[in-house]
Amino acid sequence: MRKSSGAPASAGALVLALALLAGCAAQQVQELDARPPPGLPERVELTATPFFPQKEYQCGPAALATALVQAGVDATPQALVPEVYVPDRRGSLQAEMLAATRRHGLIAYVLAPRLEALLREVAAGTPVVILQNLSLPIWPMWHYAVVIGYDRLNDEVILRSGTERRQMMSLTVFEHTWARSGHWAMVALPPGKLPVGAEEDAYVQAAIDLERVDPAAARRAYAGALERWPHDLLARLGLGNTAYAARDLPDAEAAYRRAIADRPDSADAWNNLAQTLLERGQRAQALAAAERAVELGGPRVGEYRATLEEIEAAR
Amino acid sequence: MSRFRRLVAGLLVVCIAGMGIPLRAQAGIVTTHSIAASAERDKVARMLERADVRAQLEAYGVKPADVRARVNALSDQEVAKLAGQIDSLPAGGDGLIGALVFIFLVLLVTDLLGLTKVFPFTRPVR
Repeated sequence: MRKSSGAPASAGALVLALALLAGCAAQQVQELDARPPPGLPERVELTATPFFPQKEYQCGPAALATALVQAGVDATPQALVPEVYVPDRRGSLQAEMLAATRRHGLIAYVLAPRLEALLREVAAGTPVVILQNLSLPIWPMWHYAVVIGYDRLNDEVILRSGTERRQMMSLTVFEHTWARSGHWAMVALPPGKLPVGAEEDAYVQAAIDLERVDPAAARRAYAGALERWPHDLLARLGLGNTAYAARDLPDAEAAYRRAIADRPDSADAWNNLAQTLLERGQRAQALAAAERAVELGGPRVGEYRATLEEIEAAR
Repeated sequence: MSRFRRLVAGLLVVCIAGMGIPLRAQAGIVTTHSIAASAERDKVARMLERADVRAQLEAYGVKPADVRARVNALSDQEVAKLAGQIDSLPAGGDGLIGALVFIFLVLLVTDLLGLTKVFPFTRPVR
């Protein structure tokens, strides 16, 4: 009888591989322990965060409902199923978790992929939706959960996860499973309330993405962004464009003028100012602004020219 | 074959939708997202990608009535990421792919090593 020597060999290789894997420690947890970030509380738990025990395969809608309700939106996992769940993938895609957040008038902000950034949002009172692969990369088991607290003394995070209202998970296990999603974490916030660790470009982009779906909400987000970064050109133009969309022409004009004061070379600001002035009945000023936009040129010069022609034709 | 069909369907959507697009640049407000798009990518390419994502979501069982609003809420970057990738991107839903006894045993060990958290009853040793 011949024995297969393949099985013991592959088992040996597997044990070796696992031992190696175990050796690669959770790097961010070690850093956190070695250099505790200043001002980060040792223990936080957002006990008032709601809990929606998930149905089969529907951790996406459950986790999202948790975050939306916490941000003041009326939501349930059942109502979110038609917004995020992909039946034949038996799961929910990250991009759609963000998109659905916007459909409810909230800013969807993806955090920097660092444990410290995540803990800081939790410490500031915002639960964080994360994506983990609870299994190994070759047989993935993707899972959304919500971080609602942590305890640095015991190295644990507290999660609303699956059917567990209060899951305690060791920070090391958490990092291993979270790292497999590229440390993906998002928060859902009412527009104008900035994440504590908000980065300028990322926040303004989140507001622009919100504008597609809900210009009125985006207007509040631009205003919030400008309180922290008063000279952000995109946020200023966004404020003007959302005011224009709401037919609030005086506010739109003020925003474009402020943008031009900051950046006189912004052809887009001149063009949008021209259009707004035309609609406010100030044709002569509109004409001058449109000419300035065309003079400055740029990739959208065709649109500026069209605005200029429109103003010239208006009598 | 289904890729080819998707492409044809996508092209058709764009052609039909394209009939409504004026060929000349439009007067008026320049939108915030077109200002933000660093390199003004081809409008047609962006519409093709959106059509592709729409077709894929429908192919994966999302009700046609829901698809339009879902895709509309995606940003251009998100659409670009999803186009042609919906089958390979992570979909959080706790389904374990390929559930064999052998896999379960391996995952039990990795759970105990603290590398994974597949089973609710495991606690990492150490």
